[in-house]
Amino acid sequence: MKSKKCVAMLLAGGQGSRLGVLTSKIAKPAVPYGGKYRIIDFPLSNCANSGIDTVGILTQYKPLELNDYVGSGKPWDLDRNNGGVHILPPYQGQQGGDWYKGTANAIYQNLEFIERYNPEYVLILSGDHIYKMDYSKMINQHEKTGADCTIAVLEVSLEEATRFGIMNADEDGNIYEFEEKPPVPKSNLASMGIYVFNWDKLRKYLIEDEAKPDSSNDFGKNIIPAMLNAGEKLKVYRFNDYWKDVGTVDSLWDANLDLLNPKIDLNLSDKNWRIYSRNTAMPPQYVSDTAVVENSLVTDGCEIYGNLDYSILFNNVTVEPGATVEYSLVMPGAVIRKGASVRYSIIAENVEVGENADIGGDPAVVGNENWGITVVGANITVGENAQISANKMITENVEKGAKI
Amino acid sequence: MRTSAVAGLVFANVNDNLLKKLTSRRSMASVPFGARYRLIDFSLSNLVNAGITNVGIVTKENYRSLMDHVGSGIYWDLDRKNGGLYILPPYSTSGAKRNSGTIDALVGAIEYIKHCKSEYIVLYNADVLANIDVSALIKEHIANSADITLVYHNGKLEANNGDVMKLSFKKGGRVSEIALDAESGDVADFSIGVSVIGRQLLLDIVNDAYENELNSFNRDVIAKKVKQLKIYGFRHNGYLAFMNCTNSYFKANMDLLSSEVRAELFDKNRPVYTKTRDDMPTRYGTKADVKNSLIADGCVINGTVKNSILFRGVKVEKGAVVENCILMQETKVGEKAQLNNVIADKNAVVGEEMVLKGTAQKHFFIKKNQTL
Repeated sequence: MKSKKCVAMLLAGGQGSRLGVLTSKIAKPAVPYGGKYRIIDFPLSNCANSGIDTVGILTQYKPLELNDYVGSGKPWDLDRNNGGVHILPPYQGQQGGDWYKGTANAIYQNLEFIERYNPEYVLILSGDHIYKMDYSKMINQHEKTGADCTIAVLEVSLEEATRFGIMNADEDGNIYEFEEKPPVPKSNLASMGIYVFNWDKLRKYLIEDEAKPDSSNDFGKNIIPAMLNAGEKLKVYRFNDYWKDVGTVDSLWDANLDLLNPKIDLNLSDKNWRIYSRNTAMPPQYVSDTAVVENSLVTDGCEIYGNLDYSILFNNVTVEPGATVEYSLVMPGAVIRKGASVRYSIIAENVEVGENADIGGDPAVVGNENWGITVVGANITVGENAQISANKMITENVEKGAKI
Repeated sequence: MRTSAVAGLVFANVNDNLLKKLTSRRSMASVPFGARYRLIDFSLSNLVNAGITNVGIVTKENYRSLMDHVGSGIYWDLDRKNGGLYILPPYSTSGAKRNSGTIDALVGAIEYIKHCKSEYIVLYNADVLANIDVSALIKEHIANSADITLVYHNGKLEANNGDVMKLSFKKGGRVSEIALDAESGDVADFSIGVSVIGRQLLLDIVNDAYENELNSFNRDVIAKKVKQLKIYGFRHNGYLAFMNCTNSYFKANMDLLSSEVRAELFDKNRPVYTKTRDDMPTRYGTKADVKNSLIADGCVINGTVKNSILFRGVKVEKGAVVENCILMQETKVGEKAQLNNVIADKNAVVGEEMVLKGTAQKHFFIKKNQTL
């Protein structure tokens, strides 16, 4: 096997339990985003655009949809003879086998995969974030500084810093301490969960970590602190562009609506940095005489007869006459029937919202305390005239006229 | 039936001369249509949806844009080890020939026909805009033990592309008579330029016709052999259009604003595939006012768009009004510009406050890459 300078390992096994019904049947990286993407399109497109052509995708939770979606890697130009995209699920060996116990253990179980390419560097990525990033710049910095590990960081407010893994670093970017969700943060440099390791160092620390029975085999909790204790050279790589974790319903909704905000720089059709996705064979979108469409993103296969404002419609969505969709995401194949109203909601794939049903609520009306995004899970039917208030998670069919 | 038993042969340059404005630098097959397609997407998709995995595209000239569009055939799942997609440009010997009929085109493709090993070949003119159930066509052909089965359409001939023939049938469905005098406006059974034929029979006919210096496969051969050959018809009931002039091209595009036409042409069980471009979804701004329009991905609309077809990457700035227009890929319409009955070829740029008005009979045409 021809050796590679850098192999990327994409951690895509998480359930994303905070997304509730949206990940009841699919892994978080397969969650739809932005009208025609899935979350995993971002790290995969970033790899392709950064010149990284060998990517291992570590899967574990509900992998069917994700495996299907990634396929041969063709949409991201990652179908290669040498390298390319590889799905790496947990496996059985002669001595038995194990689920991936933690992020570090997932990589440990696939040391053989990395060894085949004998890379200089290993890039660790996760499938939870929306961002455009040139990893080659980070690898260049890593190379130039001679670090053993480089960790991408983002400046956040000190208030937000309590929710992140925080890197305490000196002026030259040398990390001297890592704190997971510190109640009193000393710095505002939040880890983005993106690491570049020298392969020999990563290998050594993964093997040592695996030998510790009480380790949780996690990069943030175990590997990084162990390297710091041993005096290895850890550097921060500062990233200043758009980056959003989409681990919760609210942040997923936010990150989608950011696409409608002209003040936020997240252009997904930048010809120099395209975000690729697996395309569907749908006809173009049709906007009818009765439709009013403003401040929205709409894609192939949609048929709009009703009113749209501040919303994102994924492929093949139908909005019937008199229906209103505002501040909402409507995922592939969903149908919003006549006169229905959908506000501040996420409607998952293939949902049918019955005539005159009313879903979600406006924070100005509901009041901030009770307010939240309403989510309707995939394939659910909401009966005619049903009313579902704000901040609800709908996991089963809703009867005609029901009030939830 | 083994799928390898049938191959497809698409004629890319058929009737190029009828759509001169759009085909000056491209083949009929690569004429952009319906917001995100090129005409060949319909023939390729129909063949592929019938399980055909071996398709030749016969081209004569102007085929750069066609090759760019079809590539390895991956978008139609035609990148195969067995079979797949073959682009068949002319040999210099056949290219130097007397005329440019279908017989010549077939002679140019003779090596492909000889070597493709399939039992049947579907002949498909790239200017046929329809979603044809090719699988049912082949079944009928075999059930009838026919020599040739011609796909026909019953109804009014909206636009004659010169290649259609009027068919009369005996009881049982065999074609009894073929008339060549079809005219636009006629109501009858018309062959539409799609047929299935045994491969060996096709080879025999082509060799014979070439020696006898015949021109058109349909008009000079098939139409004259109604007695000798068992010719059957296969009726296509869904939407059908030919484009014999810019007006009929315009009308066929506008037909897509009808949900019935879309349902027929983009049948969910027989999807139409095309080259993908990884555009963002289309973005509608605060001042967007869009009515009765068909719009591809990658557009940014901040103005008014009515009764129009917008291809991928079209930008309509604030205050601009676009009505009854076909704007192809990457057309830019500046602020407060007004366009009515305009056809803009790819990458056209219309400056701020420009007023461009055609009529329903004579559309204002903007050439590819032209800046106004």
